[in-house]
Amino acid sequence: MEDSALEPLFVFIAYSVSTIQRSFNALPGSAVIVRYVKSSHQNDPFRTILEAILVIFAIRTLLQSRTRSDTTGRHFIKFTANEIDELVDEWSPEPLVPSLNEAELADLASVPVTVGPPGPKPKLQSTGKTAINLASYNFAGLSGNDKVKDRAVSVLRNYGLGSCGPPGFYGTNDIHLDLERDIANFLGTEAAIIYSQGFSTISSVIPAFSKRGDIVIADRGASRSLRSTVRWYDHNDLNSLEEVMQSVAKEIKTKRWRLTRRFIVTEGIFENDGAMSDLPKLVELGRKYKYRLILDESFSFGTVGRTGRGLTELYNVPANQIDLIVGSLANTLAGCGGFCAGSRIAVNHQRINGTSFVFSAAMPGMLAMAASEGIQILTSTPSILSNLHTNIFTLRSILDKIDCITIPSHPASAIIHIQLRDPIEPAGNGLPTTARAVSRRPSNPTSLVPRDLVVFDIGAEEKLLQEVVDEALAQGILITRARRLRGQEALEPRPSIKIAASAAVSKKDTEKAASILKGILTKVLGKK
Amino acid sequence: MPSPTSSGGINLRPINILPPGNNTLTFTSSAAARRRGRSGSIVAVQEVGGGQEEFLDQSAFPNLNAGWVNGKGAWVIHPFLIFVGKVLVDSIPGMQQNLSWTIVNLGYMLISYFMFHYVTGVPFGSDSHGGAYDDLTLWEQIDEGAQYTPAKKWLVCTPIALFLISTHYTHYDPWAFAINFTALLFVLLAKLPQLHRQRLRFMPSARSHH
Repeated sequence: MEDSALEPLFVFIAYSVSTIQRSFNALPGSAVIVRYVKSSHQNDPFRTILEAILVIFAIRTLLQSRTRSDTTGRHFIKFTANEIDELVDEWSPEPLVPSLNEAELADLASVPVTVGPPGPKPKLQSTGKTAINLASYNFAGLSGNDKVKDRAVSVLRNYGLGSCGPPGFYGTNDIHLDLERDIANFLGTEAAIIYSQGFSTISSVIPAFSKRGDIVIADRGASRSLRSTVRWYDHNDLNSLEEVMQSVAKEIKTKRWRLTRRFIVTEGIFENDGAMSDLPKLVELGRKYKYRLILDESFSFGTVGRTGRGLTELYNVPANQIDLIVGSLANTLAGCGGFCAGSRIAVNHQRINGTSFVFSAAMPGMLAMAASEGIQILTSTPSILSNLHTNIFTLRSILDKIDCITIPSHPASAIIHIQLRDPIEPAGNGLPTTARAVSRRPSNPTSLVPRDLVVFDIGAEEKLLQEVVDEALAQGILITRARRLRGQEALEPRPSIKIAASAAVSKKDTEKAASILKGILTKVLGKK
Repeated sequence: MPSPTSSGGINLRPINILPPGNNTLTFTSSAAARRRGRSGSIVAVQEVGGGQEEFLDQSAFPNLNAGWVNGKGAWVIHPFLIFVGKVLVDSIPGMQQNLSWTIVNLGYMLISYFMFHYVTGVPFGSDSHGGAYDDLTLWEQIDEGAQYTPAKKWLVCTPIALFLISTHYTHYDPWAFAINFTALLFVLLAKLPQLHRQRLRFMPSARSHH
């Protein structure tokens, strides 16, 4: 029985084999191939099979179609028509401006409105009375200065308003060149370059010099995202910086990295808490381990030092020992934009490689003249800065005595951050509440987050601080919380009240404001 | 005066600010290796050069280093150079055909392996790509990483054809066959699409830097 079942199969196989043989013999040149294979076989079937596999592999490779390349096709997701329809049906448009939640509405309502030009004693719209302004950045009292205004108006009449182009493309005129020269002379560096937007200055300067493969060691209090290898050291802790540099040196040696550029990025006075870097030690560490120093002097330029030249004047360090000094003309000089000062080569490199310099419009001529005039006023009347320092000293001497707050700012810093002394722990979070524990092991340099994280409830602390601010406004003092965009950083700065001392406010007014503030703080925070 | 605390009070949000790709890969694998000690495997396969930033930088300018394989005469040069090499090797007095073909075959495999699969990066113009090709061999740079392109097909078929011709003319001597076949295997393995941007690391202790 099996024979008869399998017989048609055998017949079929024999028939197909003979058909293949006949058709193969009919091909031209098939006899040559058969003869060649027979003669090359030479009783070595293994080798023949290997060669046959090679030939089949080559033919298969030739017949394959081309795949997508890395750069274009990699992230392309293929949807079926059904999936596309589903996604289209599911989609509902979101409003362009989402409605505010309760906290955001309260935030918006807490912003006071002033009437008239800004100054040290503006008139409040809500009460109609004047208030002492300790919230605006008016450190040298240049805001609303008449001389600056006159010069700016004359430039406006002569040059018009806008620069009509990027600085490298017909946007530069003699006012910009004068300002660059003034800044360089003021700081004592070889040259300076100005950027038209203060916030984008540092994010143009760093990528102009630090490329893929370079090493940047940045302070945890100043976080930026870079393409280079970034290591972090603890906020304002130079011992931690030295440890990180040594670990990087060890890594370079063991893993045989190529010799690349190395940078330290830190701020002169940190915006988040007003702490000040120890400049001589930074310079010394940079020399020892061969790192270039990028110092962001956004808040120390124009406020620190006898004539406002910044950290270099305060610590008596020659400015050419710092490779790049980056600063802001908008914070302290009542102009706009920022600058980067350094050696002539470094500054000229940025004229092509600083992205904001190449692609953004140049700053308007009258604002550049305002900044120039501001520098002129600072150098000619050193009494302005001594007034500012007196005011800072007055504020600190009264505020430091308050028990329930902590002030992380440096005594010479013009921005004074007031934080709650005891952090409010987040409710129901289960996180450890050791607020004062300091880890003895160093934090991991590759991670932005330090080893010992103090957690606190941002919402509760901000609400408490806002009570203080509202009470102060009712009593005629204009202060503000440090406003931040939450949810954008991995390391959130602590909520604080930011007081900006000003030389335009008289010493008497500053004392009055400080004592009123002391009363309010003890009242609101003491009963917490 | 109150002194600032060293850990100044920071709240952690679950937001991943590190871009996906190289950074997290470096962090997790080197941290893992540090925790485990030296990795136990003898051979490990690791991927290189796949970050989003690398792709962005690569597509900024055409790659002059890899463009020439599609140019005029870049294909003909292979059999031409093989022919010239064979003539030169044959001109050595006392050279036998066996040895000559083996030398030509091995020489071609060695030089093409070194040129296409060992040397990485772009030897000129570091400003135009910013080091985006530093981890990629010439083979991986050709046609921006697409597989089975005409240039790649030619470069796969040439060693195979050279090998078959050389075994034919050495009269199928088994030792010559074995040596030539091993060399061919190395070259073909390196050209496989499955090994695109993969590296074989021997005795990996921690991931090397770039």
